[in-house]
Amino acid sequence: MAILLQLIASGVAVGMIYAAIAFGYQLTFATSKTLNFGQGEALALGALFGLTLVPFIGYWLMIPLVLVFGFALGAVVERLGVRPAVKIKSEYGWIMATIALGIIFKNVAENIWGRDDLKFPSPLPETALQVGGVRILPMELLIVAGALLMMLAVEIFNRKSIWGKAVVATSNDIDAAGLMGINTQKVITLSYSISAMTAAFAGVLVAPVTLTGATMGSVLALKAFAVAIIGGLESGLGVIVGGLILGVAETLTGFYISTGYKDVPGLILLLVVLSIRPVGLFGKAVIKKV
Amino acid sequence: MVFAGRAVAAALLLSVAMLPAQAADPIKIGLSGPFTGGSSSMGVSMRDGAKLAAAEINKAGGVLGRPIQLVERDDEAKNEVGAQVAQELINKEKVVASVGFINTGVALAAQRFYQEAEIPVFNNVATGTIITNQFKEPDYDANYVFRNSAYDVLQAGLMVDEALAQGHKKIAVLADSTNYGQLGREDIEKYLATKNVKPVAVEKFNIKDVDMTAQLLKAQQAGAEVILAYGIGPELAQITNGMAKLGWKVPMITSWPSSMQSFIDIAGANGNGVIMPQTFIEDQTLPKRKAFLENYYKTYGVTKIPTPVAGAQGYDSIYLLAAAIKQAGGTDGVKIRTALENLNEKVEGVVTTYDKPFTAKDHNAISRNMVVFGKVQDGKIVYAKDEDAKNAGVVRVKEKSSN
Repeated sequence: MAILLQLIASGVAVGMIYAAIAFGYQLTFATSKTLNFGQGEALALGALFGLTLVPFIGYWLMIPLVLVFGFALGAVVERLGVRPAVKIKSEYGWIMATIALGIIFKNVAENIWGRDDLKFPSPLPETALQVGGVRILPMELLIVAGALLMMLAVEIFNRKSIWGKAVVATSNDIDAAGLMGINTQKVITLSYSISAMTAAFAGVLVAPVTLTGATMGSVLALKAFAVAIIGGLESGLGVIVGGLILGVAETLTGFYISTGYKDVPGLILLLVVLSIRPVGLFGKAVIKKV
Repeated sequence: MVFAGRAVAAALLLSVAMLPAQAADPIKIGLSGPFTGGSSSMGVSMRDGAKLAAAEINKAGGVLGRPIQLVERDDEAKNEVGAQVAQELINKEKVVASVGFINTGVALAAQRFYQEAEIPVFNNVATGTIITNQFKEPDYDANYVFRNSAYDVLQAGLMVDEALAQGHKKIAVLADSTNYGQLGREDIEKYLATKNVKPVAVEKFNIKDVDMTAQLLKAQQAGAEVILAYGIGPELAQITNGMAKLGWKVPMITSWPSSMQSFIDIAGANGNGVIMPQTFIEDQTLPKRKAFLENYYKTYGVTKIPTPVAGAQGYDSIYLLAAAIKQAGGTDGVKIRTALENLNEKVEGVVTTYDKPFTAKDHNAISRNMVVFGKVQDGKIVYAKDEDAKNAGVVRVKEKSSN
């Protein structure tokens, strides 16, 4: 029993890492039906930028600066990669453009910070806590709490602030929102900024547990993409549930079946969800009128 | 007419003056490895060691009166780039030999071009057992692939023997899913089979895996008393961190890359006590080693070689090659290969003094007795065993017919 709990606890920690990254996909998809495929690179840039700042101002003070950095980064991605494609109503242009920007960001990061995996100093003690037979790192608890807090903050922003309401209106019906006088283009830029901001924040959150480097986001972003599909690309709750399902499935398969097949159930789940419920577990099935 | 005669004389004089310059043309040696990317700490140490050796040789007058010129190329640890670099070095740069290769996969993809061009290629870090067997007799008339690193069968055997010598019966094997890790795991399992030991758990992990809980819990549940791990720095460090998290502490014996700087940085205090086979430990016991280390620290402004084994083997590989070129009396590839296989001169390196390191059949310079166990201790690699530390000043020479 203790083993099962331990596996679930570790799976939850990993799952929340995926969820925190997947949350960024969901934000931009809601407003513009586009995704930033450079999300993994935004995560890596955020973590590396944070790593550079930590020696000067410490972990906690570094976070607001990383948030600003991510916010600006998202605006750049939207401006260069997404807006031109959306303007000419290209259905796929943004895919290529965001992937290309991601590659550029990765190369820039490699030139500045090198290609070695670096150690990110942990702001919390690195000795595990014992909670009823389950051992868990303080940093893992911080990841879970930080990710939930981040999602909550974005949710409150959407519900309470005027800008947030504009975001929600745009996600519900972009044309109607435009007719109501909402500057939907600005809203889309904003959603990209918030999305990259969450990615950069996720970067500094997970970096003390994972390794830090220009390629740290490559595997994580792919897993997060699967999570976003499983949970539903339009649902914030969906990415949390999807992340937890994938994370726990990985550790359980690793232990009870084989560590060689650790990644398989996640992919099977992805295929099953796509064939039975293509909008994801928590997605809204909308009938598109043609 | 007088003017024309003078012109001819001047031209003659000029061409005569050119002749010795031509004779002092540099000897071009290729130097390829990953100088960027995840294994760059090994590649860069190897490169810097090789450059030191070349500079020393040139300072002492070069080889056959000609200076050595190293042509550096980054293979990015990618097989396809390695193959490309090999062709460029051979066809465009016209190198007379090459040293390098950190990654077994890259070596296997790239060294065939040297074999076809009949140019010796010297693996100074890559450890895959198959590397020196790729072009073995009788399928090939001559093998142009040489190596001065401890290959996987040696390391696997040492790791297993050490675990058994410590009295452990229940052994767990963890290996990464790359060529390197899986070939090493095979070597470990094969060697365990000869000792009639069956590992209690054999687990796999991926490069960049974040969480090792499942692998470690399986090993723990199987009652493992020791972990043998085959992988590179960052993931090996994640294993030690995972063990610390689970509050489970058993001895860990890894393949040599836990001496990488990335392991030391990422594992921190959790890495203390991990042991791994090493051909070179940073100690200043022998004059040659002392001079090498001091020169390295001074030249590159560091207090520690990022990956000491790679630096030392890179350094030695250039000296071995220089000795062979000297004995061959020229830069013909066939002659250099023959010279390497019958080196008359003893070559004093920092890993060992090479006395007939290669034969036509044996292209591995390192034998099992030359490998010691290193131990991670507070950010440094030290001798794991007291008797090795005590005998640090004794040069371990190659056992005859040991490979």
